[in-house]
Amino acid sequence: MSGRSLRYLAGALTLLTATVATAQPFEVPPPPAPPRPLAIAAPVEQVLPNGLRVIVARREGVPLVTAMLVVLSGSELDPPQLSGLASMTASLLTQGTRKRSGPEIAAAAEALGGSLESGAGWGQSLVAITVTTPRLDAALGLVAEVTREPTFAPAELERIRNQTLDALKVSYADPGTVAGLTAARLAYGSGAWGHPADGTPASLPRIKRADLVALHRLAFRPDRAVLILSGDIGPEQGDLLAGRHFGNWAAPVGVAPPRPPTPPTLTDGPAVAVVDMPAAGQAGVVLALPLPPRVGAERAAADVLDAVLGGGYSSRLSQEVRIKRGLSYAVHSRIEARGRNGLFLAALQTKNESAVEVVALLKAELDRVMQAPVPADELASRKLSLIGGFSRSVETTAGLASAIRSLVATERAPGELKTRIAAIEAVESADVQRYAAAHFGATGRRLAVAGAAQRFAESLKAEAPGLVVIAQPQLDLERADGLRRD
Amino acid sequence: MKARLVAVALLAAGLGAGALGPKAAFAAAAPAAEALQVPRIAYRERKLDNGLTVLSVESHASPTVSIQVWFHVGGADDPEGKSGFAHLFEHMMFKGSKYMKSEQFDRLTEDVGGENNAFTSEDVTGYQAVVPSNHLETLLWAEAERLANLRVDEANFRSERAVVQEEYRQRILASPYGRFFEEMRTKPYLRHPYRRGVIGSIENLDAAAVADVVAFHAAYYRPDNATLIVAGDFDPRQLDAWVDKYFAPIPRPAAPLPRRETEEAAWTADRAITVKAPNVPLPAVATVWLAPPVTHADAPALQVAAALLAAGESSRLNQALVYRQQIATQAAFSTDLRAGPGLLIASAIAAGGRKPAAVRAALLAEVKRLAERPASRQELDKVKTLLLTQAFSSRQTPLGLAAAIGEAAVLGRNPNRVNTDLDDLRRVSAADVQRVMRRYVSGAHSVSLDYVQEGTPQ
Repeated sequence: MSGRSLRYLAGALTLLTATVATAQPFEVPPPPAPPRPLAIAAPVEQVLPNGLRVIVARREGVPLVTAMLVVLSGSELDPPQLSGLASMTASLLTQGTRKRSGPEIAAAAEALGGSLESGAGWGQSLVAITVTTPRLDAALGLVAEVTREPTFAPAELERIRNQTLDALKVSYADPGTVAGLTAARLAYGSGAWGHPADGTPASLPRIKRADLVALHRLAFRPDRAVLILSGDIGPEQGDLLAGRHFGNWAAPVGVAPPRPPTPPTLTDGPAVAVVDMPAAGQAGVVLALPLPPRVGAERAAADVLDAVLGGGYSSRLSQEVRIKRGLSYAVHSRIEARGRNGLFLAALQTKNESAVEVVALLKAELDRVMQAPVPADELASRKLSLIGGFSRSVETTAGLASAIRSLVATERAPGELKTRIAAIEAVESADVQRYAAAHFGATGRRLAVAGAAQRFAESLKAEAPGLVVIAQPQLDLERADGLRRD
Repeated sequence: MKARLVAVALLAAGLGAGALGPKAAFAAAAPAAEALQVPRIAYRERKLDNGLTVLSVESHASPTVSIQVWFHVGGADDPEGKSGFAHLFEHMMFKGSKYMKSEQFDRLTEDVGGENNAFTSEDVTGYQAVVPSNHLETLLWAEAERLANLRVDEANFRSERAVVQEEYRQRILASPYGRFFEEMRTKPYLRHPYRRGVIGSIENLDAAAVADVVAFHAAYYRPDNATLIVAGDFDPRQLDAWVDKYFAPIPRPAAPLPRRETEEAAWTADRAITVKAPNVPLPAVATVWLAPPVTHADAPALQVAAALLAAGESSRLNQALVYRQQIATQAAFSTDLRAGPGLLIASAIAAGGRKPAAVRAALLAEVKRLAERPASRQELDKVKTLLLTQAFSSRQTPLGLAAAIGEAAVLGRNPNRVNTDLDDLRRVSAADVQRVMRRYVSGAHSVSLDYVQEGTPQ
């Protein structure tokens, strides 16, 4: 009730008299009961003779299973001129095999009750489906077929290429998406990790069928793949089904597995870029910060730091930007994996006129977490929030499979599922500050703002000397040089 | 987030109810949709003397519990000239009460490892929290507290109104298809309050004041207009005792609940609307028909019809428009069913270089084909299996389970719909699909929307 004006208070009393008089005599919230700990079963891993890892994570109580085949390489393998190759290759897996056409595959999967998804990301390509338990055998047959025997028919390539080019038109009209793509280029420069994983209008037309076939032959092999089965299934059944559908999948002879490039942690080039989109209804703001491999307990410290800054409504960025000032509907941060490295991202959208103010708030919060320890009560609540979010994420079969996928795609043990809560609980305030001081300094920060530049670019120049302004139609995400133009 | 409007996604929405059966052995041949067992959700129902409905269902798969309060009030109840108010009000429910500080709700949820969210639709406003199950009593106290004792100050009101205005900019102005989605769901109505939408406008939001918040709370936030749903890890006897302790003392106001106008006469002519925006990457089209209320006996057949047209990659619209003709980048048919007259919406975003008129012709040809020729048994079985599996998948968590019960009880007016809706769905025949397509689509008037770049000659 603090700070309310008398004028409105009078109105409130008139209308709420009846309820205020009698309702809710309890002035303080009742305390919680003793906690009931979450037990996450350790996934069971087996390896088939051909090298395929099979990881089974049982979750009982619902007759559903998620089947996910993960190949441990993705968009980081795209050659410099062929941004989008891994993504296009994964998309085409479900668009025709030696046995079935694309429409036949979709109809078969959907008759089982699931949608057959395929796609590529950083360090991974995957095929996945969720079905009721009795349909798992048939569903795994489809997963194996599209993984092992895609035909990459030229007509399907043309169709997916045109659809992806159309999708880019939509992406490039969205200020939040444009800011994100630009920030990645600023963070990683011209190297493999800075390009748009979905490709560019220039790169997509260059991709040929032979490129897809070659990438598939190089990367899709049992000794670089993991089959994850989560839900209503045990290890014996998992092993049996994996053997049935993947047992005779042979690794290519004389082809070495791909070696992913190492992401840089510091790049030359501009630290700040503005993409001018005069018709944009808001400005998209993305701050990116490349992180080196997080070793041992450092990983949990980095995750707690991320939660303090931008996890949930109560995070510092949300407090400053949304709750205190009403400058954005949502502001969040996250750490994404880039191989063994990480990329910290903080993103929001705001009215064009407020872009400079939110940029200053983002910087101030990054500075603050480097300079002063996180108070004990804030640390405790952010840790619980992080633990709760993790616990809820593994409540579904698909969530459980994704949690395991994130681990294997970054060369971590699936057993970390079981130890993650304890690792977060062990983080202390000093760990968070030490990590922030070491890695969140101004040198690594990269900032992209996409929006109606005439309403903020001049003021932003005062904050960021050397600021580059690029008109959206001239934005060239093919190379980092594309961000140097004025 | 405090603030999610109910889905305006282009892709057809799945069905909001259903559960599949007990564990079965592995089999090479998959059973048909008819063979899937659907166990009942054994919910309990209580009605307190003050009118509050309490629904609960136990699930001990995780040590978490979802506490939800759904109110029969939504965007259609916005005060005249203040469109967007019910949704703005939803945000204000987090801004403090007699015994809770602003954002204390976050302290009681996020800070202990839980989460909270809320949504406003045309008909319903729902508050959804999930907490570790040892915090159930605390959350019941907090929900009772903001129902009984909401308090809002001027500074909080202004800052939160600015947040909602940023939400409007993000959803409507910055999103390339924001205006299109908003107008396709509002512009077709001639008379019903649904014509005003849920998000409102910057100007209408500016017209709202703290006094409106107080009046709205008094008018609609009362126990006889609310349904409390608890799902997850709890002891039923403890729950009953805590509900009696915290909710039973809240009095039922003497004044009757305000009731809004609910009629929309059948449309007597086809209409066409052009929506322009400064930032349209590819043109889009929609054709919209009036649908019966969500409680109508024809609703399941319409949902199956929508799934035949648009659920999944193998759906008719995707195969015809996106795959074979390559005239659209996406195509959808959604049943936007509501408490009052809802909408059936066929929509598509053009592929590069394709003209809206050609896209619309292709879209309507597929819609018409479903009315004219019966779907095969195999195709019907496919979409039923897909809908059942989606429904079941969404109920794995306490949040999803409680939401399914809330939708059945509050929007569907009968909690047992959570059990019967899927049975109804499985009984839909090919002839039922044709009948409803003829009644509501091919035999009815429609509104066409074209979404084009500003400055494009017509």
